[in-house]
Amino acid sequence: MCGVRQKNMASYLKTTKELLVFLGKSLFSVLKALIFTFIPKPRKNVAGETVLITGSGSGLGRLLALQFARLGSVLVLWDVNTEANEETCRMAQEAGAMKVRAYTCDCSQKEEVYKVADQVKKEVGDVSILINNAGIVTGKKFLDCPDELMEKSFNVNFKAHLWTYKAFLPTMIANNHGHLVCISSSAGLVGVNGLADYCASKFAAVGFAESMFVETFAQKQKGIKTTIVCPFFIKTGMFEGCTTSSPTLLPILEPEYVVRKIIDAILQEQLYLYMPKFLYLVMFLKSVLPVKTGLLIADYVGAFNVMDGFTGQKKKT
Amino acid sequence: MIADTTMFLGKFLYYALESLVVNIIPKSKKDVAGEIVLITGAGSGLGRLLAMHFARLGAIVVLWDINQEANMETYRLAKEKGVKVFAYQCDCSSRKEIYRVADQVKEEVGDVTILINNAGIVTGKPFLDTPDHMVERSFYVNAISHFWTYKAFLPAMIKANHGHLVCMSSIAGMVGINGLSDYCASKFAAFGFAESLFFELSHIKENKIKTTIICPFFFNTGMFEGCITKYPFLLPIMEPEYVAQKVVNAILEEQVYLLLPRFAYVALFLKQIISPKMMLALGEYLGADRAMVSFKGRVKEDEPQTETKRKYH
Repeated sequence: MCGVRQKNMASYLKTTKELLVFLGKSLFSVLKALIFTFIPKPRKNVAGETVLITGSGSGLGRLLALQFARLGSVLVLWDVNTEANEETCRMAQEAGAMKVRAYTCDCSQKEEVYKVADQVKKEVGDVSILINNAGIVTGKKFLDCPDELMEKSFNVNFKAHLWTYKAFLPTMIANNHGHLVCISSSAGLVGVNGLADYCASKFAAVGFAESMFVETFAQKQKGIKTTIVCPFFIKTGMFEGCTTSSPTLLPILEPEYVVRKIIDAILQEQLYLYMPKFLYLVMFLKSVLPVKTGLLIADYVGAFNVMDGFTGQKKKT
Repeated sequence: MIADTTMFLGKFLYYALESLVVNIIPKSKKDVAGEIVLITGAGSGLGRLLAMHFARLGAIVVLWDINQEANMETYRLAKEKGVKVFAYQCDCSSRKEIYRVADQVKEEVGDVTILINNAGIVTGKPFLDTPDHMVERSFYVNAISHFWTYKAFLPAMIKANHGHLVCMSSIAGMVGINGLSDYCASKFAAFGFAESLFFELSHIKENKIKTTIICPFFFNTGMFEGCITKYPFLLPIMEPEYVAQKVVNAILEEQVYLLLPRFAYVALFLKQIISPKMMLALGEYLGADRAMVSFKGRVKEDEPQTETKRKYH
């Protein structure tokens, strides 16, 4: 009898202890979050870090490269378009980058990713900040989109992340130092009419990055940071022709604004970054509102028609 | 502008009230007798249970599975209900095979009106320990196969303006889970794809094609054998029959999203408002980070064992 009572006491104490630990951690993190809304979070120094950016030939990738050049990082640029990539390389050197290397890489091919990754490891060294940014969009209605194009978009936008993680994460873990940045999209948080394959790939990117974040946390790899970026459409030409009927709530974003926010998020080691801020509200509402009301709001902000005028990039990828 | 906003607010209020009412009064269930229901992964687990339910409801059931033996067993069990049943062997990781078997179905059975993308596999290892081909296979079966089945069967549904698309995603399709990165990514992709198509379809005038996206927590069909949950009261490892019942109900009531168990809605809501550190603390508290530690999965003779034990340093 005594033994049973002792066992019950022990398990009761254990449950209470766990509850207290949980409450304690929650309180601590709420306080931390409150404090950091008033005091800006410290930004880490990335001078000397090796930053690899996929899709650096244009748009967001190029702007990120220039920013990191100014911050004194070593740059490794990957893009399928050699010419555009060399241009970014030149611009980065002008911006004061101490070391820039450009590689041509078709991110939709696993073997090519691995091959170029090996080259990078030999010629540059260990990558400490990995920015999976390369992305393409078909912009066609699902039933009109050729199968091969859908597969390719999935391969570039998402499967490339699997291979880059496999190539560079082990070393980051060995050094217990690294930062994984996933450039996803608002289309990775909520479905969009006219972007079925793009959404699937961007959702996958978010899910994968989030899962890996939890995995690195559970394996107590404290030196590995993750940042998941979900912007609405940006004026880089990729989503040329897209419209929004609510420029105040859901504006088509300026690239410089987006890049500034992304750099801040990386330097402050933020986990999620949604742009514009309205997306936080959207995700919150999505989890509480009944479907019809959600659809109503989406219609009101013109979310169903964003892709109607889509023309995309004039040049072929 | 003002008229627009007033209309909007009016509709908003109406829908909010409507959903409250619906929660109290049970919604009417549609009749699926005679509908052609196609279930991928019908050879075992949830697929088999769904096949039985639909057979009982008088539907014509089309069963797809890569495992011919298991599929024929489901065929036998469903036939006992006295309905028309068709079984086809199909490897959902192959686009060509999906199209080939889909053509067979269209010829021998007719136009599929209820498509249930249920086939799924899981490797359950830490990502860096999972061989590339297994990661890719997860994707092809769990997510990309949905592209091809939609392509195969959706056009006919649109023409007839009649159909129902059911996507078996998972809780792992809404939140990342330790030890399931490739599975999570594939389930997120399936969810995003189904949701996008849902929006695409609802934007067509007078559209009558329905979508249902299901996100269950683990349930014991053998697929997640060995997984543990710390608080069975909040997040139970559910009984498959319970899940099947809820899924069928959601389809008959034409519900768009279904999360199981109920606590999942709360967890999802919390995820949107709390900071990452708190989310991790909550996950730790609920034992989510250790759920996959003793994962064993299905042990098949002809496939590499997925048994894995991991120690955290």
